[in-house]
Amino acid sequence: MRASPLLLVAALALAPLAACDDTTKTPATGGETPKPPSPEPGPPTPDDSPADGGAEQPSSEPVPPSPDPAPQPAEPPAPSPANFDHAPAGAIPAGQGPGYLDRTVWSPKMCWPMQEAGFPNSQVYGPGGGMGPPGKPSQCDTLNYTLPWRDTFCEARSRANPLCAGSGNGHQGQDIRPATCKKNEHWAVAAEAGAITDIGTYTVTLVAKAPPHYTYRYLHMQMSTLAVKEGDNVAVGQKLGKVSNDFGGTPTTIHLHFELRAGVSGVTSDGKAVALHTFLPPYLSLAEAYQRKLDGKACGS
Amino acid sequence: MRHGKWWATAGAVVVTVVAGATWISTSRAQTRDATGAPIPGAAAPRPAIRPGVAAFVAPPRPRVDWQGAVGGLRQSGGLGENLGGNLNRQQVDITAVPILLPTDAKLAGNARIYSFGDYYTITADTAGGGVSFSGTTTTVPMPATKPLKIDSGPEQLTVQRTVDGQLASFVRYGVLYTVEIRCDAPSDPRCVDDNYVLGLVGKTTAVVMGKAARQAAGLGG
Repeated sequence: MRASPLLLVAALALAPLAACDDTTKTPATGGETPKPPSPEPGPPTPDDSPADGGAEQPSSEPVPPSPDPAPQPAEPPAPSPANFDHAPAGAIPAGQGPGYLDRTVWSPKMCWPMQEAGFPNSQVYGPGGGMGPPGKPSQCDTLNYTLPWRDTFCEARSRANPLCAGSGNGHQGQDIRPATCKKNEHWAVAAEAGAITDIGTYTVTLVAKAPPHYTYRYLHMQMSTLAVKEGDNVAVGQKLGKVSNDFGGTPTTIHLHFELRAGVSGVTSDGKAVALHTFLPPYLSLAEAYQRKLDGKACGS
Repeated sequence: MRHGKWWATAGAVVVTVVAGATWISTSRAQTRDATGAPIPGAAAPRPAIRPGVAAFVAPPRPRVDWQGAVGGLRQSGGLGENLGGNLNRQQVDITAVPILLPTDAKLAGNARIYSFGDYYTITADTAGGGVSFSGTTTTVPMPATKPLKIDSGPEQLTVQRTVDGQLASFVRYGVLYTVEIRCDAPSDPRCVDDNYVLGLVGKTTAVVMGKAARQAAGLGG
C-alpha cells in the first residue's frame, strides 16, 4: 500500500480537527493526595541524535538479530473500518523482528492518543534510527512523516514480550511520531477515561476506569508541561502532556511509545495455563481510533 | 530461566500462604494456587464476541478464594492494616478483592491506592523510581492458537523486563496480582535483572480487606 499524496494531504488537513475532547480540563482528583509531577530531568541534547538509536534500550544492549517474521495466516483479515493507508498488523519487514499476527482490536472504543495526526512507524529501522537506511541520517526525514503506518509491536528488541514468536522478546508497544518532527509541541491525550496512577521522569500511566481496566503507558513525555498529576481522574481525550524524546535523561527519537497492557489469560508454549499482566498489540485499536477521528466521530463511539 | 530464584521466592510465599490457609483448616486454596488450576479465564479462553474484537471476561468475583484470603488476613495478624494505615480508606473500602501489601513499612508508608472495585493499583515511591502493586479479577483471554512465550513458576509467577523496569505477576486467592518496579535510569540494577522485583514479590504477603472485600468474604462490612 503506497501513500497517495492526496490522502496524505487530506489526513494532515484533517489532523487538527480533533474528534477527541482536547480541552484541558481542571482535573478531578482521585482518592489520594495529588503528587506533583516529577522534576524535569533536563532536556536531552542534541535533539536529533538519539543515543539509543530509537530502540529504547541502552546502547550497551544492542538490538538482537531477528529471524524473519512468521508468515501471515491464510485466512483473510476481518474487514476493518480503517481505510487510510496503513500496513497490515504484524507486517514487520524481514530481519526486523517476528511481529505478532493478531487481528484483534483489543481496545475497540479507545481514543486516538494524540491531539493531531501521528505517524506510527519504526524508530530503529526508519531514517535516523540506529539501523536506518544508509544515507538517511535524520529522524526528521520526510519518509518518517509519510503514510503508510507500520506496526512496531514485536519489532526486534531485547525486552520481554510473551506474545512475540521466537525468543519471547520484542517491542512492547507502538511507536508514534507526532504530527511534525518537533518535540514538546504535540499533545498526547487520554485513550480512555480513567485514573493517572503513576508518573515517572518521562512516563505517564493511565488505568482505564472501565473493565478490563486496560493500562495505557505513554513514554518520552515532556514532564515540565504535563497537564496531569498522579491521582487525577481524566476524561477520554483529555490532554496529558506533550510528546518529547526523553529516555531517562538521554535522548531517543521524538516519538510517543504507546503501550496497551492488561491482565490476560492463556496458555504457555509448554502447555501450562497462565494469567499475567502483559502487553497487547495496540496497532489495530489505534488504526480504528484514528479512522474515527478522521471521520469526525467522538472518542468512545 | 531463573527457576532457582523463583522457587526461592515461591518458598517464602508458599510458607506464608500455607500458614494462612491452615489457619482456617483447608488445604484446597493452597493446592489451587500452587498448581495454577482455575484462575480467571485461564483454563478455558472464551471466544470473542465477534471476530477481531476483544471479548472481556466479566469480573468473576465468585472465583476469588475468599477462604484462602481470610486465612492470609488472619495470618497477617493485623500487619496489613498497620501497613495500609496511610491508604485512602474510601478507596480501600470499595476494593472488592483482597489487597496485598509488601511487608516493608517504608514502601507502604508512602503508598497511594487507586481502585475501581474489581481492580486496584497501589503506587509507592522509591529512590530513583517507583513501585506499584496491583490486583484484579478481570482478564482478557488470549487466542488459544497463540501460546505465550514465557516461563511460569509457582502461583503462575512470571517476570518480564519492561522498557523501564521489571514486571512480575502471580495468582493468589484467585486474583491476578502484579508487582512492578519502574526506574528513572535504564541502568538502575534493580531494573536490569529480576532480583529486586522477585524480592518484592516474596514480601508482598500482607492482606488488607476493606468493606467490600469483607462483605464478599462473609466477614461483614
